[in-house]
Amino acid sequence: MRDVYVLGIGQTIFGKHDSLTVNDLGAAAALAAVKDAGISPKELKVAYCGTMFSPPTPVQSILFHLGADRIPMYTVENACASGSSAVHLLFQEVALGVRDVGIALGVESLSAFNRKFGKGLLAIEGDLQGKLALTMPSFFAKLCNRLMEKRGATIEDICYPSVKNHKAGMTNPYSQYKTEVTVESIMASPMIADPITVLQCCPQSDGAAAVILCSEEYYKQHNKKAHRPPVRIGGSVISVSGAEDASYDPLAMQVVIKGAKDACEMAGVDPRKDIDVVELHDAFSGEELAAYEMLGLCEPGEGVAFARSRAVELGGRCPVNPSGGLLSMGHPLGASGVRVVNDIARQLWGEAGENQVEGARVGLAQMLGGVLTGIESPVVAGIHILMK
Amino acid sequence: MSKQVVFYPGALEERDGILVQMGHKCRDCGKTSYPPVELCPFCSSENVEKVPLSTTGTVFSYSITRVPVGPFKPPIIGGYIDLPEGTRVFGQIHAKPEKMKTGMKVKVQTGVLWTEKDGTEVIGYHYVPCEAGSGGA
Repeated sequence: MRDVYVLGIGQTIFGKHDSLTVNDLGAAAALAAVKDAGISPKELKVAYCGTMFSPPTPVQSILFHLGADRIPMYTVENACASGSSAVHLLFQEVALGVRDVGIALGVESLSAFNRKFGKGLLAIEGDLQGKLALTMPSFFAKLCNRLMEKRGATIEDICYPSVKNHKAGMTNPYSQYKTEVTVESIMASPMIADPITVLQCCPQSDGAAAVILCSEEYYKQHNKKAHRPPVRIGGSVISVSGAEDASYDPLAMQVVIKGAKDACEMAGVDPRKDIDVVELHDAFSGEELAAYEMLGLCEPGEGVAFARSRAVELGGRCPVNPSGGLLSMGHPLGASGVRVVNDIARQLWGEAGENQVEGARVGLAQMLGGVLTGIESPVVAGIHILMK
Repeated sequence: MSKQVVFYPGALEERDGILVQMGHKCRDCGKTSYPPVELCPFCSSENVEKVPLSTTGTVFSYSITRVPVGPFKPPIIGGYIDLPEGTRVFGQIHAKPEKMKTGMKVKVQTGVLWTEKDGTEVIGYHYVPCEAGSGGA
């Protein structure tokens, strides 16, 4: 396997872009990425795009805007980990020596989705549990209830990631929200599924993100940003659930625990000591609280204490979602798996502005897709470890 | 009589005039899966037999949704029910929200989930608490 480097990143501001198509959004992110990388789009040798609800062949339509053509292009879908899957597949091609440089995109327009299907909670079509009204909030409400029953979490603990991440979003230029929230304002917002209120949920968003990965040799020849320390992808794992997972505790999702363990082993890092910054799938505030221990940032069962120690804030042992996370950044589904990789690269380059984690050398980017239920709607986790 | 359909193919089958949840019990690994699929989802064995699921179980975890979802009006109580054979089934629980407790015993019932615009009744299952003294558990 060859080392794989991050040559450039790009993204749109996340939010409501009702007048833009997925092709417009994707092209803006792809153009920003090639400009950041300082290469011509004609240099790209392969392209992957993660998305859930776009029209067919979005990647070709997007890259047509840039004149990148006649290369292998693939659109991949893996629920909220679609973008992670695009990054993973590109990583593999470069690592295995198949291509020297390529682009991984993620794009979504929930505005377009809503025009087509109407607004509402996303229940999975044709799924047994979905037909019985299992939705994302109702699943994560069970996770919150488990946190309170088994981990002693309070409502304040459950709301904490939302408070922290909305605060971080205030200083992120790409963030959908620029609004601080408090435990009081969170709990005063409409109840969706006890104890999850609207302000504990990520918003619906439109947006795109793109990353350009390359081999070491290509990086040495083409990197024009000499001030940037070289950042490589040390671990890349797509972890998928099995039949047994339906009987696991939502507080111990094997798909996340094993995915993080495998990615850390691949990168040769110890998550308790070595990981300096994390971007993760905080679709719901309580989900982030439950993730600390599953990712191995602290001992099993210690996630609530880890949060209370403020280890996950800027200045703490391992800041989590210093970008503002899905809760404040927004969550254009297919784009988020790429966006978290970009945000970790930004952190390791020292280019995260007011949201910078000082001295960050190793970061973890996680996305989780699907719902932990029976055999029809399984879970996939995408985990990347970036290091300099 | 209005037309009736089962909400999910294979989720319920008629046995002796009543609708029952049918799962697959694997003769090789011994696990029971629901709803039935081609092979045992645990060990890929073809050696599976259709068996009725236990009609009572315990609530592993639940949540109460306060907004409408599809045809369902709030509050909607959804729960994971652990059956004695080790299978975890998702279903709605018809109970007073304030009476809900993790670990409580519930039993399955079948009936109309919703009625389509053309009058078709969609049949499914839900759980209700086993009242003390009812002998349900």
